[in-house]
Parts: sequence; C-alpha cells; structure tokens
Amino acid sequence: MTATSTTPASAPEAVSPGRQAWRMFRQNHSALFGLAIIALIVLASVFGPYVYTVPPREMVWMPLTPPGESEYLLGTDYLGRDLLAGLINGGRVTLTVGLSAAVLTVLIGITVGALAGFFGGRVDDVLMRITEFFQVLPNLLFAMVVVMLFSPSLLNIAVAIGVVSWTSTARLTRAEFMRLREMEFVKAERSIGAGNARLIWRVILPNAAPPLIVVAALSIGTAILFEAGLSFLGLSDPNATSWGRMIGDNRPYILDSSWGVTFPGLCIFLTVLAISLVGDGLNDAFNPKLRQR
Amino acid sequence: MTGKKLLSVRNLEITFRTEGEDIPVVRDLSFDLDHGDTLGIVGESGCGKSITALSLLGLVPSPPGRISKGQILFEGEDLVQAGERRLNQVRGNDISMVFQEPMTSLNPVYTIGEQIAETARVHFGLSPAKAWARAVEMLDLVGIPSPDTRAHDFPHQLSGGMRQRVMIAIALVCEPKLLIADEPTTALDVTVQAQVFDLFQELKQKIGAAIILITHDIGVVAQMTNRVMVMYAGRKIEEGPVAEFIRDPRHPYTRGLVSCIPRLRLPPDDHPAPLFEIPGVVPSPWELNRPGCAFAPRCARAMARCRTENPVLAPLGDGRAAACWLETEAAA
Amino acid sequence: MLKGSLRKLLNALLLMIAVLVLNFTLIHIAPGDPVEALVGEMGGATPELIAELRSRFGLDQPLYVQLGTYLGRIAQGDFGHSLYYDQPVTALIAERIGPTILLVTTALFSAIALGTVLGVFSAQRRRSVLSHLVTVISLAGFSAPVFWVGIMLILLLSVSVPLLPISGMSSADSAASGLFYILDVLHHLVLPALTLALIYLAFYSRLSRASMLEVLGSDYIRTARAKGLPKRMVIYKHALRNAILPVVTFAGLQFGQVISGAVLVETVFAWPGLGTLAFESILRRDTPTLLGILFFSAVMVVVMNLVTDVVYRRVDPRIKAR
Repeated sequence: MTATSTTPASAPEAVSPGRQAWRMFRQNHSALFGLAIIALIVLASVFGPYVYTVPPREMVWMPLTPPGESEYLLGTDYLGRDLLAGLINGGRVTLTVGLSAAVLTVLIGITVGALAGFFGGRVDDVLMRITEFFQVLPNLLFAMVVVMLFSPSLLNIAVAIGVVSWTSTARLTRAEFMRLREMEFVKAERSIGAGNARLIWRVILPNAAPPLIVVAALSIGTAILFEAGLSFLGLSDPNATSWGRMIGDNRPYILDSSWGVTFPGLCIFLTVLAISLVGDGLNDAFNPKLRQR
Repeated sequence: MTGKKLLSVRNLEITFRTEGEDIPVVRDLSFDLDHGDTLGIVGESGCGKSITALSLLGLVPSPPGRISKGQILFEGEDLVQAGERRLNQVRGNDISMVFQEPMTSLNPVYTIGEQIAETARVHFGLSPAKAWARAVEMLDLVGIPSPDTRAHDFPHQLSGGMRQRVMIAIALVCEPKLLIADEPTTALDVTVQAQVFDLFQELKQKIGAAIILITHDIGVVAQMTNRVMVMYAGRKIEEGPVAEFIRDPRHPYTRGLVSCIPRLRLPPDDHPAPLFEIPGVVPSPWELNRPGCAFAPRCARAMARCRTENPVLAPLGDGRAAACWLETEAAA
Repeated sequence: MLKGSLRKLLNALLLMIAVLVLNFTLIHIAPGDPVEALVGEMGGATPELIAELRSRFGLDQPLYVQLGTYLGRIAQGDFGHSLYYDQPVTALIAERIGPTILLVTTALFSAIALGTVLGVFSAQRRRSVLSHLVTVISLAGFSAPVFWVGIMLILLLSVSVPLLPISGMSSADSAASGLFYILDVLHHLVLPALTLALIYLAFYSRLSRASMLEVLGSDYIRTARAKGLPKRMVIYKHALRNAILPVVTFAGLQFGQVISGAVLVETVFAWPGLGTLAFESILRRDTPTLLGILFFSAVMVVVMNLVTDVVYRRVDPRIKAR
C-alpha cells in the first residue's frame, strides 16, 4: 500500500497519525465518557431484549402507572405497555435507522464532494448546483413527503434521511479534495501514472480522512435526531417501536404521565450527546493545535 | 549624557508557557536608543527579534507569553509596569509599529482612510472631518496617488506594496517618537521592497522619529540604520555601528551572516568566493536550557569553554560589543 | 452589481422550478397511482372523482406534457385542492404562513442576537464560566430533540409553574382585539419561540465564539491594538464586524433546517402555522397540501437566502467589488 505511505509526515516522532490521535483521544475525559455511554446503549439495545423479556408492545399493567410503583421499573404508558421494554427495543430501531442513514449520508456526501473537488470545472459546477438545491430544501419537510409517498418502512426512512442530509459532508469533502489535489504527493502519484480512480480513493481520500471521520461520527447523531423527528410526527414503521415514536404516542397524555415522554427523550438526548462528545474528542485528537483555544 | 534616553531596555526576559513549563524566548536583553536614532535588529527567524518588538508595545500574546524580568524604559517610564490604559496612550501615538504581513494586517471591512483616521481621532481627539483630512494627507505622504479618492478604498482593492504604505501611514499619523518596523518588506516583491525602503529613507529625514528595523537581511540594515544589534537564540550576541560591523564582524555567527551577503563587485585580483553558508540550524528554545554558548554546536571555532559557559557580552570599544569567548580571550 | 442581483434572482427562480420538478417526479415514481397519491388514501376518493382527476391532470398524456401542464398550473397559482379541507392549497397556506413566519423569525433573530453576545463574550475569556456555559449549551442544544425540549418546557413552564399557555396562538375564549390580542399572541408565542431559539442558540453561540476566536487572533486585530485603540473599539468595531460574517452566512444556509425545526415545534404547541398543517396533512395523507407546503417553505428559504445576500453585501465590502 503505497497510498498510505504518502501521508505527509507531520508527527515529530515516528508514530502513525492514527495512533497519535488515539493517544490524544484517550486523555479526553468527556470523549471517553461519551464512548462509555455509547457502549452501554449499544449493549442494552443488542442484548437487552434477550435479558429483559417483557414484550414492548403489549399491555402488561395498568395504563399510566408511574415509575417505581410496579414491577415495571419505569412505569407504563397510556396503553399499559412497559416503558422500559419500549426503550430497550426502541433503541434497536433508533440506532439501526440512525446508523444506516448516517452511512448513506456519508457515502453520498463523500462521492459527490470527491468528484466535485477532484475534477473541478464543469463537474464541480453541476454537482454544486445539485448540492445547493438540496441545501435549500427544508430537509425535514422533504423527508416527510418522501416517507409519506413511499410508505414508512425503516429502509425508506433511512433513505429519506440520507438523501436530505448529505450536503454538508459533500461541501467538506469537496474543500478537502480541492486543497489536497494541489499537493506535491498527489502530483507525484499522478506523474507516475496513477489513474483518477486511484488518485481519488487511494491517494487523496485517506489524507482527507480525519475531518471526514469527525463529520461521519456527528452525522450519526444528526440522523438519530432526524429519525426521532419523523417518528414523532407519526412517520415511522407501524410495526416498530422507536424512541421518537414513543414520545409522539405519549405526547397527548403528558398531563397524566410526564414519564412517557421524559424517558424516551432522555435516551435520544444521551445517545446524541455521547456521539457529539466522541465527535468533538475526535476533532480535538486530529487537530491538537485547536485544543489550546 | 544629557537628558533621558528615548528607550532603554534593561535585562528583558520573555517566556512562553509550553506544556506547563516557562520557556524563555528572549533572555537578558539590554539595549538603548536615542531620539532620532536608527537601530537594526538582525537574526534568523525564531531568534526572538519579533517578540522583542511586540514587547515594546506591551503586545506579547498572553497567555502563553509574558515578560518575566526586566524593564522597558520609554523616556524613563517603565512600560512593563504600565497598565493597559497607559499602554494604549503610548501605542500608535508615541511608539508605533509596521508589521510583516501587509496582506492581512489591515481590517478588511473598513476603508483605509477610516483605519488611518481613527488613530488620529483616538490619540489627538480630532473631529471626524479633520481626522479624515489628516488621513488623506498621510496617504499623500506615503506616496499613494490620488489620495483623496484612494482613502475610500478597502484593503482588498490595493496591492501588497500599497497596503504596506497604508500601514506606514497608520504608524506615522500621530508622529510617533519611535517607529518599529518588523520585516516590513519580507512579504513583498523585490521591486516593491526597494520602493518601500526608499520611502523609509525619505521619511526618516522628514519625521525625525527613532526607528527600530527588524530584519534578517544584513544588506538592508547596512543601507537603513546607524547601529545594528544581532540576536541569536533569544540573546544579543553582537552590537555596534553599522559600518564597523559590516567591515569587521566579530562574533563567528555574525561573520557568517555578513559573508552571506552576495557581493557583486569583487576586488579584481580576488577569485569569486562561493557564497558562505552557516552550517546547522537555529536551536529551538527547548534546547537552550543547557549551559554554554547557544551557537557552539554550529561554530567552527568552538572551544571547550564555549560548551560549558555562556559567554558574556564584552565591550570592544567604539560602542561595539560581542558575546564570544574568542573575543574575551583575545582581549585578555 | 445589478447584473449580479439579476443572476441571483434567476438562480432563485431556477431553484423553485427545480423543487416543483422534484415534487412532480416524486408523485410519479412513488408506488401506486399518482392520482391516488394526489387525492390521498382517504375514503373520499370515489371512482368518478379519480376519473375526473385523471383527465384533469391529463395523466394519459406523455410525462413531459404532464410536467408542462403541472408547471403551467403552478404558474397560474393553482397548487391543487386539499380534499380534506375542501379548499385550494394556496388558500390554506396563505392562512398558515403568517404564524410560521412570526415564530421562525422571532426564534431565529433572538437566537442569533443572544448567541452572538454569548459567543463574543466567551471568546474573550476562554476559560471563564461563560465560556464553559457556551460549551454546555451548544452540546445540549445539538443533542436534544427540539420537540422533546418543547414538551419539557411545557411540563416546566405551563404545568409545574403555570406561567405560559400550553398550545395555540390565542386564547379560545378571548374576543380580545387590538393591543390585547397582540399581547395574547405574544404570550402564546413565548414557549414555542423559546424552544426553537434554544436549539439555534446552541448553534450560533458556538459558531460566533469560534469565529470571534479566529478573528481575535488575526493580524488586523494586532494592528488595531498596536494603534492604541481602546479595548471596546478593538472588540466591537474591529473584531465583531468580521466575526459576524459567518453568522450571517449560516443564517441563510440554515434557514431550511430552521423551518424543519418549526414543523416539529408547531406540532408540539399546536401553533397554527405551516408545520401543524404539514403534520395534519400527514395524518390525513393529504398529498397536495404537503407538496404545497414543501414548495412554499422552499420559497421562504430562497427569499431568506436573498435577504442574507443583501445583508452580507452590506457587512463585507469584499463581496461588492466582485
């Protein structure tokens, strides 16, 4: 792999940039805290349903039972469903949709941005016009239209989120590519006959990776919020519980059960917060200089 | 000696805090400047000359930097002890400065006229109209054509050389007693450099301010100043009148510097010598905590003593001095 | 300069046409009969109605003809008919757009104003309490779902401490007019505007702090200090005006997201704007209304972008010269 060896040696010691970043990251307490929360939430969502086997979508107790007044620790909702079971199972849906939407966001964003930044000129003009167009569209409304017209399956929701969220990733990727394509190591690769595809994917992209990794991490958080918004509005898979949907379902009953909206909201908040902390930690780790600010 | 010196820097030490440690970047620096005097400060980048200049205006970026020892006596008043309010009366009024980067040193959102005029308003309390008139006058003085229309231009409408002229106009608008120019032409094209230096020469006559010119170019110093001071790794290592200095540099480092000046006219019987180059690089401030002369590792004539003891600045007569054991031992 | 403005306007027009083409495309690639998509999957769509619509929309024509007719109808101000409300979509939107603009502008401008103040002050003292506060606000604001924040604020400020009304834009029982009506509306506006503003406060305080930090480290600020200008002039005259430039840029760029946030907030507070209408349209599968809202929101974003552009020209002289 000569592509990775073309990374400009910025580190004074002979430590790989990745390892150096990890060293920085490890010292960042809030980022580690975020990582721990994420680990906890992922574990609970993956294994929770096997450990805590209360069915999330069936009436198990008196409706609107407050937390701590029954064997159902966090209480029940307006249909007598166990809130904790809902949270555990909803986490799966929320995380799955969030993650797949983020992957799509990053894929579209990087592809568009890389092509625009690498080729410049006409290609850039056209792609940036398209980007501008998607930036102007109110993203949630557009996603609402898409999901409503194409039925609210989890896949459609993830696609809708991905399709409306990629513009900032594209802009960042484009800027990085425009900066990097003029650099000596790229010219050197070009002069020894590297093709465009190789230059884009193997030479420039690895060097543009640090800011893109940060954006990719943060876009998971944004996608989770987005999914929550859609399912709050009722645009969610009718057969799946998600945190946003729980808030939407319980909203009419907030005067009788504040817990029905509080806990799912806290779950979303904590998850996205943890992701932001990790994202900021990564950002600091990749740009040690900015940290002194 | 009658009256006070315009500027007298005494045992100045400036440190920068890095990774929990105060690293000195300027050490034990003393020098004097009389009214109307011109002093060149020469050294490679990182030798502490720019930070010395900033310290004279109380502009050492803090944190991480600070003046940890010494005095900066301006007409007898210690500016190190002066508060921000007092410093603001001095800055731009008694002491002003021209920076290295004309492209970024002007505020992009205000007209150049405004940027000159506001200085006059603040220090002289001029009315807006009078301050503007003064700004136009200054633009004319620094050789900007049709100054009354140009005053309405924004910085991005001017070339680098023009912007540096504007910076000079800002620096001179309050008729300062001391003008500090920090590598004022480094960022400019060679032909423009010459023009800006011509402007300095011309203004030197007109304004009568003392000038400190900071540069890495001995040739410029030779043209522009009476006295020169050489800094290396945060210390003064040689100083003296320019003519003697060029003819007979004493410190091995300055000898190297002087012989780096390409000479076009060689004595007829002389073979064109190859350009001299000082081997090695400037040590980083971190490396300076060990004893001995900072230049010793690069010095061809270093002795055992040079690696263990830091040389003291020894007077050589005619207002000259050098910090080198070779000189001290030759004198002994 | 004039030519530039003309190009900007043309660009805006093209963007709007693109939104319409997108709407059209979506209806046609969505599964099922486009007419059904248009009338919604509600009981009211009788076969006769469908047949009538089919011929009215010329669905037997080739696609490009249909697109032409569609754009033609839009050009005449015909955005279709909401079957649920039995009203033209334009009438519905005209009725609802005012409250949305009121909510969005109140929230956005207070967020920008307060966010800039917070950012500017915290940038001057990097390790101060205020600076940490900005960090906390921006993290929390980025991470909290806006609709949940709204509900929490209701629980706090309408239920626990009954200060503010839970929902709506005016009290149902009040026949108040004039000043009292305005006060009543403002009373109802506080919570939704606060909710939306909190989220954008997070963004703008962080943005303006980062921007201010960068400006404070710039060479021209060093020049301003070297000139002996008093600190307030250095900060408010020289730094602030430069630091505000990215804030202006983002105010324009982000407007689409602000409208999206407004959809959620309006739904929470039953604020009678486009967002609530959009929510209701989803419940009723009222596609023409939803598409109309999407279009008009895009128009608002485009207009906002033009406004930002004008503001930007006023603050940054470098743009004017181009």
